[in-house]
Amino acid sequence: MSYTVPLGPYHPALEEPCRIDLDCEGETVRGAEIRLKFNFRGVEWLAERKNFIQAVALIERVCGICSNVHAMTFCRALETLAGVDVPERARHIRLVVAELERVTSHLLWTGLAAEIMGFQTLFMACFALRERAMDVLEGLSGNRVNYGMNRVGGVTRDIADPGAIRSEVLRLREETLKKIAPVFLDDRTVRARCAGIGVLSGDLARAWGAVGPTARASGVPQDIRKAAPYEAYGRLDFHVPLETAGDVNARVVVRLLELIETYGLLEQALGTMPGGPLAGPEFVEIPAGEATARSEAPRGECFYYVAAGGAEAPLRVKIRTPSFVNMPLVAAMVRGANLADVPLINASIDPCYSCTCR
Amino acid sequence: MDLDAIPSAIGAPGGWEKRPDAWWLEAPRADPPALARVLLEAGARLVTMTASAGPDGEFRVIYHWDGEGRLLNVAVTTRGAALPSVAAVTPAADWIEREIHDYFAVRFAGRDLPPLFLAPGDAPGALGRDLRPDVAAEGKDGKVEG
Repeated sequence: MSYTVPLGPYHPALEEPCRIDLDCEGETVRGAEIRLKFNFRGVEWLAERKNFIQAVALIERVCGICSNVHAMTFCRALETLAGVDVPERARHIRLVVAELERVTSHLLWTGLAAEIMGFQTLFMACFALRERAMDVLEGLSGNRVNYGMNRVGGVTRDIADPGAIRSEVLRLREETLKKIAPVFLDDRTVRARCAGIGVLSGDLARAWGAVGPTARASGVPQDIRKAAPYEAYGRLDFHVPLETAGDVNARVVVRLLELIETYGLLEQALGTMPGGPLAGPEFVEIPAGEATARSEAPRGECFYYVAAGGAEAPLRVKIRTPSFVNMPLVAAMVRGANLADVPLINASIDPCYSCTCR
Repeated sequence: MDLDAIPSAIGAPGGWEKRPDAWWLEAPRADPPALARVLLEAGARLVTMTASAGPDGEFRVIYHWDGEGRLLNVAVTTRGAALPSVAAVTPAADWIEREIHDYFAVRFAGRDLPPLFLAPGDAPGALGRDLRPDVAAEGKDGKVEG
């Protein structure tokens, strides 16, 4: 006999503005439908009613975790429209903030994954480390979430002492390698919980245009930092971790290895910070035209389209977040799964409902 | 990927324009499923689609593709506020077409379009109604509300 189990929005395993209707036979999921119509915010609509400076601040609120990448990508689209060059020091600072944001995002995800697995000690270790990464961002920007570091043509704040930040990054790396990575990569209990569930084949990932760690865990080597380098990424040496199993364990491994690579990127960027100005002129006129920009957010490719008519507000702002692309794939991942595995499978794409319902 | 072969294959009147951000192609009368098939065969990935209200109740829909790291933006115009769906060719278009239908009531022929973000009782087009020049006569004029 088949029956439907609603997961979310008011459910201990999914405390988010989303509902997944699971068609089950016994404990086996036969199909799933994802429903999102709980918290649509209309950020694109709002951005088209703000001036370009206000819109940067608004767009930073698209997400509460990867806020910086949204403001940065929007600014990059505007800089293309205006033909503005960003100074080298500002490019390095943008990269540092973007990668620190990746650290806090991946540590948040590892913590939540541990919590869903019932591994409370690991959850506490991840979040304690994340606090320290957030302290670094607070020290840089004055804020722990919306950093306000981007403006059209550069950044709003300098990194006065890159050496001090680099030292703290090295300590974070050491702690990650000592306390977090061995558990996620080698612990038999974690592997038993994650291996072989929520499988997404490479073919399906390609067909649905999956992005970020979700795609890379299915053997799709796609990373905008490598494919279309921006800011200072083209000048730094880093590796894009790839797994092929496509299961929850592969997504765990990709994120952990990626975290280690991120520390390496930060170390390089902070060690080679060029001198020079932080930004160009304070007020930049945005001419009529249209432009696109892409960045690699912690969850994958983040895309912006901006059209301007020469007035003080944009004519059109289109935001495509990585979770919007990856979320429909959960329906395929849970097909045939045990009902009890669904919360972990859903969490394994690191879904952001704030981004999706922007 | 042979970019030069694509405009003629989809009936675009001109060729690609390389701008600082991407390669752009104006193909107002192109058939989106034919475009999708050509680009998929060349190994491209659908990134997303952007719809904007145009004159005479029509919409400009830009299909954004990634081809070996290059962003390819192909602009098509709706016919009677409708276009053939590409969801059967590339499932990546499924949620994108549903969202555009929610926003602008653009119809994508050949598929169902269940609401993605609309609340119960909202009609398709409700989310983007103020973006449509025929609905908001005083609409957006580039001025800021606050």
